[in-house]
Amino acid sequence: MNDKRLLNRYGLVIAVLFVLTALSADMIAPHDPWERFEPYQKPNRSHLLGTNDIGNDILSELIHGSRASLIVGIGAAIIATFFGLLVGLLSGYFKGIVDEIFMGMTDIFLMIPRIPLIIILAAFLRSSVWLIMLVLGLLWWTSTARVVRSRTLQVREMDFVASAKCLGFKNGHIVFSDILPNIFPVVVPKFMLTVATAMISEASLSFLGLGDPTMKSWGLMINFALTKGGLVNEMWWWYLPPGFCIIFFVYSIVSLGFSFEERKKVILV
Amino acid sequence: MFSKKKALRLLLGLFIIFTLNFIIPRAMPGDPVSHLLGENFIASEASIQELERELGLDKPLLAQYLQYWKNIFTLRLGYSYHFNQKVMVLISIRMKWTLALLVPSILIGAVLGTLLGALSGLKKNNLGNKTVTWAFLAVYSTPPFFLGIIFLYLFSFKWGIFPFKGFYETGTFPDVLLHFFLPVLIMSAFTASRNYMIMRGSVLIEKEKLYVVYARAKGLYGRAILFRHIFKNASLPVITLIALDFGFLLSGALFVEIVFSMNGMGTLIYEALLSRDYPVLQGCFLIITIMVVAANFIADILYSFIDPRVREKA
Repeated sequence: MNDKRLLNRYGLVIAVLFVLTALSADMIAPHDPWERFEPYQKPNRSHLLGTNDIGNDILSELIHGSRASLIVGIGAAIIATFFGLLVGLLSGYFKGIVDEIFMGMTDIFLMIPRIPLIIILAAFLRSSVWLIMLVLGLLWWTSTARVVRSRTLQVREMDFVASAKCLGFKNGHIVFSDILPNIFPVVVPKFMLTVATAMISEASLSFLGLGDPTMKSWGLMINFALTKGGLVNEMWWWYLPPGFCIIFFVYSIVSLGFSFEERKKVILV
Repeated sequence: MFSKKKALRLLLGLFIIFTLNFIIPRAMPGDPVSHLLGENFIASEASIQELERELGLDKPLLAQYLQYWKNIFTLRLGYSYHFNQKVMVLISIRMKWTLALLVPSILIGAVLGTLLGALSGLKKNNLGNKTVTWAFLAVYSTPPFFLGIIFLYLFSFKWGIFPFKGFYETGTFPDVLLHFFLPVLIMSAFTASRNYMIMRGSVLIEKEKLYVVYARAKGLYGRAILFRHIFKNASLPVITLIALDFGFLLSGALFVEIVFSMNGMGTLIYEALLSRDYPVLQGCFLIITIMVVAANFIADILYSFIDPRVREKA
């Protein structure tokens, strides 16, 4: 690996391709994912990946599915990163009692078994993409907060922070314009790993049948394929593509995260 | 050994999570009786009222809350009308199989991940290490249940090497091993991939430090420096990771169990979910919480065992 590169080139290309696909799903998809054709078709010219049990075109489902999957993954990671940054910055910068309270809270949140909790909530409520995204995001900020805190503790002792204090800048200004930019090397890869974890979790929950039936995600497609006999009938074109989409996207984003981490020499635990 | 502050946080955490578990069924929209008994439970109006009294739903919330704690301390987690069994009994039967899958996987994954990760961190541009990194990244990116599906399809369905379905209490030891092989393989690989990436990154940073230069100046060669000096320092983040990851790995194991139809907590949760058997779901949630907290506790002790700086401070 060439050390001059900040981001892994292949990872970047794959990730961007997936995002573009999700954005332009309506234009790329050959059919409407809800339109019904003859069910259980093998891959053929008009349906490159065949059709499923109710006759939806699998390729179109796959392309549209990227939306739900990416929304959950990226949305959850944005929420988690926001709270992680907030808690980590405040507790690292102010130390003392603020730190005690926030880190106590973080330790407690760390102990919540997240996926079982989501299973319970989704069992009681009607599951939706937004519920899964929100709950994942609200539960997954803890490790970001820890990483940000320990980095803030280092940065706040640096000379330029001391000089900013001497010049009389307010705390808010110091945190946002002096400390925050120096936190980014740890936040960026952490964000990417959070996207990965959130997407794996979403796929697993959908596999349990807790996915959002009104918004097909890749995980939900696997769930349908398995429960409607795709595996035993050896219809690999049904359940493999969504699985590999998850793997490829997560792989691209994780390799971006790790190459960034390696370049910047930070550890993300 | 173990700081009082940390212990206090663990207890407070347990208290809050258990309280959450009390609130959830009562705060959700719908009928609390069905939330506490499970949805496929059908009974006459009179017996529902009787059960309501038994569950204490006619009492004020505070009284219900106190009763809830009393039940927890006496290990009464309610009754599953779906399985026709006490929830505690159900879970204690299933839990040992989940642990039998999870604990060996975490151990194998930890050893494999840290060793390979350390070697790869030492010489990261070596072709072999690059390949291993690539492979572990691929495993890292794969949802465990999907890896399970692929393995099940190839090894059991297509080639018939391993059994298709779970195992039963009556199986002999080699038989159980045969059933466990694929699930443990998958979970070990998944655990190892996470440990590998952290250990690798950690060694990459540690090997630039001065004590390593000193060891080199003394005349030690690469691997000796790695295992005598770097390894201990670099493995600290991995221990933190294993504790942080325990819940995630446990959930992964639950999904793998479902794929392989194994007789553990994963399938229990799945069955309870399909029949909306809330007492079982909540019981599982409580037990899993206790397991996660215990894992954190063990990791903290282990941490202070390896790092004398932590030990002296506490």
